[in-house]
Amino acid sequence: MTTPDATRVEANDRSRSSKLSRRGVLLGALASPLVFRQARAADSLKAYSIWPENYARPMLEAFEKSTGIHVNFIRFSSGEALARLIAEKGNPQVDVLFGGPVETFTAGEAQGIFEAYTPPSAAELPKRFKSTQGMWTAIADDPLVFMTNTKFLQEHNLKAPASWDDLLNPAYKGMLQMADARTSGTAVTRIFSILQVNNRNEDAGFAYMKKLRQNIQAYTKSGGGGTVPVGLGQAAGGIFFIVDALFTRQKGYDVQISFPKEGIGSAAECIGLVKGNKNTAAAKKLIDWATSADMQSLLAPAKINFLPANPKVAPDPGLVSVLKSANIIEIDDSWAGKNRKRIVDRWVAEVLNAG
Amino acid sequence: MTPGPGMVGGAAAARPRRLMRTAGLSVIWLVLLLFIVYPLLILLSRAFFDGGHLTFDALFATLKSPSSLRALGNSLLLALMVGVVGTLVGLLFAFTVDRARLGSRTARLIDALTFLPLISPPFTTSIAFVFSFGPRGLITHDLLGLKNAQMYGLTSTFAAETLTYFPIAYLALRPMLASISSNFEEASFSLGGSRWHAFRTVTLPLIIPALANAFLLLFGCSLADFATPLILAGSDFSVLPTEAYLQITGMFDLKSGAILSLLLLVPAGLVFYAQERFVAGRSYVTVTGKAATATERNSVSSSARIALLTFCILTVALILYFYALLFYASVVLAFGANYTLTLEHYRVIFTEGLPAIKDTLFVAAVGMPLGGLYGILVGYLVGRTKFVGRRAMELISMLNYALPGTIVGIAYLLAFNDKPLALTGTATILIACYIFRYSPTGIRTTIALLQQIDKILEEDSASLRANSFVTFRRVMLPLILPAFFAGLGVVFIRSMTAISATIFLVSINWSLITVKILENMTEVALGPAAAFSVFVIVVVLVVTGLLNTVLRRMTAPSLRVSRIGT
Repeated sequence: MTTPDATRVEANDRSRSSKLSRRGVLLGALASPLVFRQARAADSLKAYSIWPENYARPMLEAFEKSTGIHVNFIRFSSGEALARLIAEKGNPQVDVLFGGPVETFTAGEAQGIFEAYTPPSAAELPKRFKSTQGMWTAIADDPLVFMTNTKFLQEHNLKAPASWDDLLNPAYKGMLQMADARTSGTAVTRIFSILQVNNRNEDAGFAYMKKLRQNIQAYTKSGGGGTVPVGLGQAAGGIFFIVDALFTRQKGYDVQISFPKEGIGSAAECIGLVKGNKNTAAAKKLIDWATSADMQSLLAPAKINFLPANPKVAPDPGLVSVLKSANIIEIDDSWAGKNRKRIVDRWVAEVLNAG
Repeated sequence: MTPGPGMVGGAAAARPRRLMRTAGLSVIWLVLLLFIVYPLLILLSRAFFDGGHLTFDALFATLKSPSSLRALGNSLLLALMVGVVGTLVGLLFAFTVDRARLGSRTARLIDALTFLPLISPPFTTSIAFVFSFGPRGLITHDLLGLKNAQMYGLTSTFAAETLTYFPIAYLALRPMLASISSNFEEASFSLGGSRWHAFRTVTLPLIIPALANAFLLLFGCSLADFATPLILAGSDFSVLPTEAYLQITGMFDLKSGAILSLLLLVPAGLVFYAQERFVAGRSYVTVTGKAATATERNSVSSSARIALLTFCILTVALILYFYALLFYASVVLAFGANYTLTLEHYRVIFTEGLPAIKDTLFVAAVGMPLGGLYGILVGYLVGRTKFVGRRAMELISMLNYALPGTIVGIAYLLAFNDKPLALTGTATILIACYIFRYSPTGIRTTIALLQQIDKILEEDSASLRANSFVTFRRVMLPLILPAFFAGLGVVFIRSMTAISATIFLVSINWSLITVKILENMTEVALGPAAAFSVFVIVVVLVVTGLLNTVLRRMTAPSLRVSRIGT
């Protein structure tokens, strides 16, 4: 008998000159072809992107066009990217971690996965946009928003929620989707926003979250996971980053974007140099480029609704008008970084598992 | 069939025969140790060693936590329901197709359609559920007018998993039913027993090993599935694989993630043990060297036939509807918002997604023959030969399958990231992961089929002085070829569709379609996700179609020979 031809592989049968391999039985190949891809000879670097491909690709292609440096990248959610970088510490696979909320970068900094590099633009940035140790630098800013399904609001005679307490309305019972704090930076930013508007009175903040839990339909793995259910009307609403919410609207889903009057937080989107990187010069060039106006002025034309972090770049007027009514509050990142694990653990124990 | 290497004199052949077996066993043991035992040991050492000290604090903390115990309970309940109901549905399908006098075209149609859930990337059934059930679901809201239908929780997770996995039971049961001559039922029937009585007393006992096998497979699938609960379980029905996955990817807590998933080993081991006890000590021989003339099958009454057919058609219709929905989502701009027809999503997957497509096809094509072969070799060694450590080999070969993919993935990542075997970033690690994780279907099917094959056939061959390899190749191979192809198919299908383990193993150099699908799902890009899924389904349908054709060509004559010829 023979195995199907289409699947014949280059068997490495150094050890088996026996009848077995002669008969096309691919036992020798169990030793497995050690297949490596040829590394690109030209100038290139490797990156994990936490930004979704449709945000990262146009940016990184523009970088290649302007510098000739090719960025080989793959996208992971923030938790996955971080878990990988930690696991790969002994044998780093990439040079740069691109995009993703600041809390991922502070957690990574604590794990020692970054190497300090301060790009020239960092000097112009406010304090919350850069690590004091130079481990990461912001490339954009991303406020949270409330996003609700228009039809749902009409059917229930509701206005788009304008206060944190509006989300406690029993009309939303079992109808809100938001991200799980274990995997999503969106969720962590949301929780710190709630603590911040409660003046960091944790008990008050958690009491609110426990009440909100009654209205939760599902906690999603990724920050944007609930956007389609809300767009479809399978869920009534949720709390998302503005970039995901506006993207949902751009797709044609009928959703409302609103802000709580008490205020809501915003996450700096960052970039960092991975410790043990192998293409240092190219990686630093990418960091320089991404933190400068060179990249951030491309966001608005590409309809990517991040706010630029670099003060030299004017934000898109459309985005500014959406944010006009917003009360964006500052989250103390060093406090958040120090207390992140404790707060998330408490959220898991008291909120998530309370259902 | 090419002629064998020839029959050698008994005494002279004894030594090479033994040598050959020893060599074969050594190779199998080597790969088992390398790709199953070693990564797990690395993982366990991470879970239980803290700064060089053995400590069980983390284990006790996990065992004391009510939420872990609740997740364990939920997982068991879900797996039990999926195992029982899925096996039952698979049996009904197998029985209908094999015994209810269907035309071969109808049978092939049912085959193809029941394949769909099995060959789909993860999330496709879940996404179809999200569209269909729930407060604005196409079925619950638009069709039935229900206002407040909820779709997250046990019921929908159970339904989605059953629909996804029952074809595995069907795959495992159908060759078994087909190999049981309906003459036995016929005999019982003509002796005055009712058809049901015939089924219950003749057929059912004969297929008990296969049923136990199917149940075990489904139980394992459900126990390890993280994709379906991730989308459908909601927040009030937590299960262990998802919890372990979130623990690892989200909390960067390898320790408790590993421990959570190690809890799964206990039920998986128990079921395995129970199956062995349950099945052992009964005789299931039906394929004998003695001639059995095939007769027209007449095992079911007309009313039973109609009931069976109705059930199958309804199930198949539901599956068809899901996939029509999926296809529709791939050709409109944005499902639920903008129904303008477009090929844009396909343009995206064949340009930006092309590297992932190429990589996936390569990995699947290489893994398939290796996995199929590994499956029957281990199955044959375990099911038919005696050697020290046979049971250990059987157990170890099942490990990567029983463990949640998340754990296997993380274990591989930890074990193969550094020297001596730095495989991260290669295709090898993906291929190895798929082979050792998904070949147990081939192994179990081989063992189950072997239990049905009379040992005398083999002894005849041996007494004719054929060496064991010749016996294996000329006698056993044709008989267990269906198992080989089942193994082949499953490895290929899983290489195209699985995600839980390999999500940790994809790299800059080697990406996979399934990872792209998950990514697209979280990016509000349902269109490309659906297009990728449709592409995967088409490829797998084509390849499995080819495999089936080859199988039919190859087994028809040889099976006839071994059934009839003495």
